[in-house]
Amino acid sequence: MSTASPRSGGIFGWLDERYGISPLIEYMRHKEVPLGAHPMVWYYLGGMTLFFFVCQIITGVLLLMYYQPGETTSYESIHYIATKVPFGWLIRAIHCWSAHLMIMSLIVHMFSTMLLKAYRPPRELTWLTGFGLFGIALGFGFSGYLLPWNELSYFATSVGTDSVKSVPVIGHWMLLVMRGGEDVTINTLYRFFAGHVVILPLVCFGLISTHLLVIQRQGMAPPIHAGTSTHGMPFFPNFAMRDLLLWLICLTVLATLAWLMPYGPKLPGMEWELGAKANPLAPAYPGIKPEWYFLWIYQLLKEFPPNLMGMEGPQVCLLLVNVLMGSWALIPWLDRKAQRGKHSPTFTDVGFAVIYFLTFLTLKASDLGVAVTPTNDAATAIVASYCAWVTLGIAGVTTLTRFFLYRHRYFLLSAAVLTHIALHGLVGWSYLTVGAVTVVVTAIVLTVSGLTRSGAEGVES
Amino acid sequence: MKMRRLLMAIVAASMFVTTSWAEPDAKDAQEAFTMPEALQKLISSVDDKGSAVISAEAKTYFDGLPSHAKRLFGEAVTNEYIGTPTQLRDLLSLKLNTSKLELVLTNNCLLCHTNSAYQNGPTLFSLDPVAAGSPSYMDLKLLLNDVHMRHKLACAGCHGGDPTGNMAHDHPAEWPADHDQRIADPKWIPQFCGRCHSDAKFMGQFNPSLPTDQLDKYKGSHHGRALLEGRNPRAAQCVSCHGVHGIQAANSPASSVYAKRIPETCGKCHGDPKVMAGVKLDDGSPIPTDQYEKYKTSVHGRALLEKGDIGAPACNGCHGNHAAAPAEVSSVAQICRTCHARNGTLFDGSRHKQAFEKNGWPECERCHSNHAITKTSDAMLDTSKGGLCADCHDRFAKEKAPTCKATAAHFHDTIVGMSKATVDYKGIAADLAERGLDIEPLDDERRNLDDALKTSRSQIHSFDRSDFDEVAKTGLDTVAKMKVLTETAEQDYSTRGHGLLVAAAMLALLSLGLWLKIRSIERDQRKGR
Repeated sequence: MSTASPRSGGIFGWLDERYGISPLIEYMRHKEVPLGAHPMVWYYLGGMTLFFFVCQIITGVLLLMYYQPGETTSYESIHYIATKVPFGWLIRAIHCWSAHLMIMSLIVHMFSTMLLKAYRPPRELTWLTGFGLFGIALGFGFSGYLLPWNELSYFATSVGTDSVKSVPVIGHWMLLVMRGGEDVTINTLYRFFAGHVVILPLVCFGLISTHLLVIQRQGMAPPIHAGTSTHGMPFFPNFAMRDLLLWLICLTVLATLAWLMPYGPKLPGMEWELGAKANPLAPAYPGIKPEWYFLWIYQLLKEFPPNLMGMEGPQVCLLLVNVLMGSWALIPWLDRKAQRGKHSPTFTDVGFAVIYFLTFLTLKASDLGVAVTPTNDAATAIVASYCAWVTLGIAGVTTLTRFFLYRHRYFLLSAAVLTHIALHGLVGWSYLTVGAVTVVVTAIVLTVSGLTRSGAEGVES
Repeated sequence: MKMRRLLMAIVAASMFVTTSWAEPDAKDAQEAFTMPEALQKLISSVDDKGSAVISAEAKTYFDGLPSHAKRLFGEAVTNEYIGTPTQLRDLLSLKLNTSKLELVLTNNCLLCHTNSAYQNGPTLFSLDPVAAGSPSYMDLKLLLNDVHMRHKLACAGCHGGDPTGNMAHDHPAEWPADHDQRIADPKWIPQFCGRCHSDAKFMGQFNPSLPTDQLDKYKGSHHGRALLEGRNPRAAQCVSCHGVHGIQAANSPASSVYAKRIPETCGKCHGDPKVMAGVKLDDGSPIPTDQYEKYKTSVHGRALLEKGDIGAPACNGCHGNHAAAPAEVSSVAQICRTCHARNGTLFDGSRHKQAFEKNGWPECERCHSNHAITKTSDAMLDTSKGGLCADCHDRFAKEKAPTCKATAAHFHDTIVGMSKATVDYKGIAADLAERGLDIEPLDDERRNLDDALKTSRSQIHSFDRSDFDEVAKTGLDTVAKMKVLTETAEQDYSTRGHGLLVAAAMLALLSLGLWLKIRSIERDQRKGR
């Protein structure tokens, strides 16, 4: 137990005497956040995500005081919260806004970690727990979506849960477990509710604790740059107070957004107007879309034909999604160069390639305001070309920045993805066919040039 | 091991036995039909060019028939009711289902009158769709769907004769003997159909809910009188509206007298100047032929024909059907009242009632017209540009015109005000909802306003200002309530905005303090270093 503390009086002294808090503060005071090669902004994203998560817990608990799950109460209680409960509209709006902003900051956090190779040893566990938290966040989004029991959430959940049928052998069993029966019923809502407010939070607390513990133990990852040492900023109080400052700004933004747009920005997959109550007997209306972070999977499923290579199209598609996500989780072990503390331009390019891939699919799924009926091929083609132009524009700016500012010289994989997008969106070839051709050609080029082994020129940051 | 093999062998053998027993049974049933030689001959016959008369498709259809249907074919051919390959071909190519086929093959009238071996000239009918449109064509599919046919009242029921026996027969006594006369002067038809349709006891066997007063009504109708008194042989009788072969129940959408098809059916004659030539109205003027065209554009016509609202009145809604008569001046308003009861009652209590009676004006029709009746509009009350009230009062009741015009203007302004409020508040409510405010109370009041508006619009038929004001007051009070609710909601929104501003200012202050603290700490740290 510590006894010698500069602040031995008062409550702190009393606590310090009993629990030895001073060494912890001393530890944090010596712990440094690396400064130097890249902007500090990337270090704040984890904290920002945590802040939004805390907002979720607080507003979630408040909503729980009025929300009553049930066939005749779910929709009614949410409606009551949004219209009659004092500040109910604000709590619900913040809960919804904060959910979306949390996933946004989480995704940016993941990509910054990926592009800066912060996953490299000894921080594999940080990456893995972070990846797990990403999955949990998506689970929160998916389960929370059904709770208002309105028409949109009902049908979106029916479609969403239906996709697990594609899993071989145990698909139907998984569907039964998810839905609590053959169809989406009030039983589905009960288990989604239990998942949303008990199961997922429990798992989440465990993972967040581990994630924070390993970060506090190891500190934040310094940038890879050969030969130069970095200076740091004390974690406490300098960085912690900056974090706090950012949280205050986030809170202001959150409150403003909730006041301005209490039902969301009305973008595809990003609105939470209550609408009509769920009616399982009503026909599903066309154009039901999931939340924006699932839109890419939704679009990818649409690009697949009903049957492919002797398997069902959705089955192949979801297999592909799982392989991609699996590789994503295992990236600390795949990136051998980063393991040795060297630059790995290939994986930097993989990161950008993935960003372009996801951007195009998400944009295409959202239709960009063009009303597309399933039979209207001309409109689909227009949307595809428009999305391709936007994606290529974003890619152009990022690639130029990478080339001139960060001196990246390896663009093969992002170029492959962009070629795929251009051939599909601008020339109008089938997404899947061009995709297959692009994969084969890229594989041949990679093998021939041996680039995977020799690495690229240029300095990565 | 041996035991298990033995067991398997027994199971396999028993399965084989049960399946091989089941097979011959089914085959027996199929084989029970032996094709008579005559039928075989017809099926395999060839035409002059040497190609088969019965197509492969028709043969497949025949082969697929159950054996009792095949037997009926065999008997019909053996008894020579089916006598030619073309007759057989036409029958098979209709691909009738088994129950309808039984109906045909047991009806000797149908078979004999399509058999060119026995009939010729006007008594020979063709089943071949190639003959469609000609008098000799018999649309058997249509005929088999006939409501009479389905109740076993087949050819002989009207035409006479015995479908199961003797081929020679006469027409029923009620039929004029001469064919041409039968067609040219159809006044025998109502009486003929009435033989059954006026007999309540007889009709009760088939459809107890069907009225049996059609003939009586018809006799008193304009159509009936014109035909039966010999004034107009073109006047509609039973067949004109219901058809002959292929008659459907009136509640079947396929029937020519189904609610949605009535305007078209009536319009066939009433829209044709040739058919209506010589028909005059009571005042001696020729009857117009534009009613159907006008009706199609009317509010009733659009409700019935476009929206499919079969509750909307068709021609018979006002003119009746079997008792068809033009609605008289005295009765037309009573007809409108069957649906628009409240307006009628209000009108009856108004001063206009006597004035209209004095002038011999039809009540509703005077302002709303008849066949071309359009959806009413608030502009009908507008006195600023002439308008309905002003126009009539200037011509017929000049001395009261200023007061009445002022009343009409008051009605108009009040109703238009309320109507505008319903539209305006729809937009206001949508805007408030968008901003996350509770619009339920406003929506409730808007529904009340809708009701008040409807009642006020109806109340103008009392043509009494104080009565109207009493009813309209509910609406005007609702508008006032909605105004207060909107203001409260706006206030709530602005409170939210102010709350946000205060919170944001406090957060900004806190942030600034924090930022200054960070700077001061870092300054101290630099100094310390």
